[in-house]
Amino acid sequence: MVKGFSTMAIHGPASLRDSKGALRTPVYDSVAFEHESADSLRRTFEGKKLAHAYSRISNPTVTDFEQRVQLISGGVGVLAVSSGMAAISNIILTIGGAGANIVASKHMFGNTLSLLERTLKPWGLEVKYVSTDDPLEIGEAIDENTSAVFIETITNPQMDVPDCRQISEIAAAHQVPLILDNTLMTPYLFNSGDHGVNIELLSSTKYISGGATSVGGVIIDNGNFDWRNSPRLKERAQKQGSMALIAALRQEVYRNVGACLAPHNAYLQTLGLETMSLRIEKSCANTQALAGYLEAHPRIKGVNYPGLMSSPYHEIADRQFGGRYGGVLTFDLETEQQCFAFTDALQLIRRATNINDNKTLVIHPSSTIFAEYTDEEKLEMGVRPTMLRLSVGIEDHEDLIADLEEGFRKP
Amino acid sequence: MQVSINGEQRQIDSEVLTIATLLELEKVESPEMVSVQVNGDIVDRKHYQQTKIGAGDEVDFLYFMGGGSTPW
Repeated sequence: MVKGFSTMAIHGPASLRDSKGALRTPVYDSVAFEHESADSLRRTFEGKKLAHAYSRISNPTVTDFEQRVQLISGGVGVLAVSSGMAAISNIILTIGGAGANIVASKHMFGNTLSLLERTLKPWGLEVKYVSTDDPLEIGEAIDENTSAVFIETITNPQMDVPDCRQISEIAAAHQVPLILDNTLMTPYLFNSGDHGVNIELLSSTKYISGGATSVGGVIIDNGNFDWRNSPRLKERAQKQGSMALIAALRQEVYRNVGACLAPHNAYLQTLGLETMSLRIEKSCANTQALAGYLEAHPRIKGVNYPGLMSSPYHEIADRQFGGRYGGVLTFDLETEQQCFAFTDALQLIRRATNINDNKTLVIHPSSTIFAEYTDEEKLEMGVRPTMLRLSVGIEDHEDLIADLEEGFRKP
Repeated sequence: MQVSINGEQRQIDSEVLTIATLLELEKVESPEMVSVQVNGDIVDRKHYQQTKIGAGDEVDFLYFMGGGSTPW
C-alpha cells in the first residue's frame, strides 16, 4: 500500500488508468459525453453508473485531479471548482442561508471578507467576527443559528496562526462544522482532518497549480462531521450519512451554480500536484532565509512570519506544521511612501497579486487587496499602510536577498 | 440469496455477504469512488467490512458525479 504524499500525488489511486493507456490523463476538452443507450444516460444521471454526461457537472480530467487530491488529503469526498473563492461560495451556499450565521475570524483574506460581508449579507446571512487568538470568544459567539466556524490556517496577510485543534474541539462541542481555508499550507504541510477540521478549502491556483499556471479551487470533506446536526443538510444526512455534504454539492449547489473547473486547468493542476512537495520545501526554506535577513535589517520596523521565534504564533505553528511555516511573510517599513519606493526599486521580485507562485512576488495589501475598505476598517483587520507582503518563490535565495538589498538602497 | 442490485434482482451464492465482498463479487468499477446504499441508506465507508447484506436487501452503488438527482 503506497502511503507517501508525493507517490500518491504522482500515481493517484490504483484504479486510475486511462482507457488508451496514456500515462498522463489527457485533457478531455469536450462539453458533452455520448452514451450507447437512453438507459445508460438514465443510470449516469441517477449516479448508478461511473460515467460522465456534461462537463459543468463532471469531466474525466477533473475527476482525475479530484481523486488525487482525495488520496493525499484523506477526505471522504473532493470537489474541484473554478477558484478558491468558488470553493468558499459553494460551501457557504450549501450549509448557510437567511437567518443563519457564520462565526468567522476577523482576520482573513480580503475577498473572503467581501464575499461574506457585501455579497452574502444582503441575502440574510449574518457573520459574527471573532479573534481566533481567544478560542473562548468563538465558543461564546456560536448560537443555535450558527452554520459553521470559518478560519484560515495562516491568515493572509496578518500571519495569525489559529490553534486548529483547540478551535475544532470548541466547534465540535457545539456540533457546528469547522471550515478551514488551508491555501497557504496545503495538505502537504497541514493535514486538516488530523486536527479535527471538518471541511478544508483550497485555492489550487497557489501551490497546487505548479507556478500560477491556472485558477482553481478545491473542497475537501474530511468525513468527520455528522451532517444530521446541520439545519440545511439534516434531511439528506438521514439517508446519505457522511456523504450528505458532497451529495448536496454534486446534486444541487455545485451543479446549479456552475463554477466548474475547466478540464485544461485540471490537467495543469494535476501536473502541479506531482511536483508540489518539492516546490513547497524550497519555498519554505527560502522564506525562512528571507525572514531572517529582513528581521536583521536596520530599515525594517518589523517582520511577521510564523517561522521566526519573534512571532507570537511560533509555538502553535511549530506544533501544527512540524518545522515548515509556508511561503508568505509580511514586513513593515516606516511609511507607506517608503513601501511604494521600495517596491518600485526591486528588479527581480515581481510586483503582482498572487501567492505561492514559483516567482517571488511583492504587494502592498492596504492599497490593493483591501482597497475597498476604509483606513479604520483596514487597521481593525490588521492591514497597516506600512506593510508589504512577500510571497517567496523557489529561486535561489541569495539572488532574492541581493534584490531586497538593492531595494533598501534606493528609497 | 436474492438481492436487488441497482434495481435488478440478482442471485448471489454466498453464505455470508458483506458490502466489501459484494463490491468484489460484482467487480464494481473504481470501488474507492463508489458510495453504497443499502435499503435506502448510505453506509459509511468504514463499515463496509462489517455491514452484512441479507436476502431481499436492496443495494445501490452510487457515484456522486453524474449530475442528476437520485430519487432519495
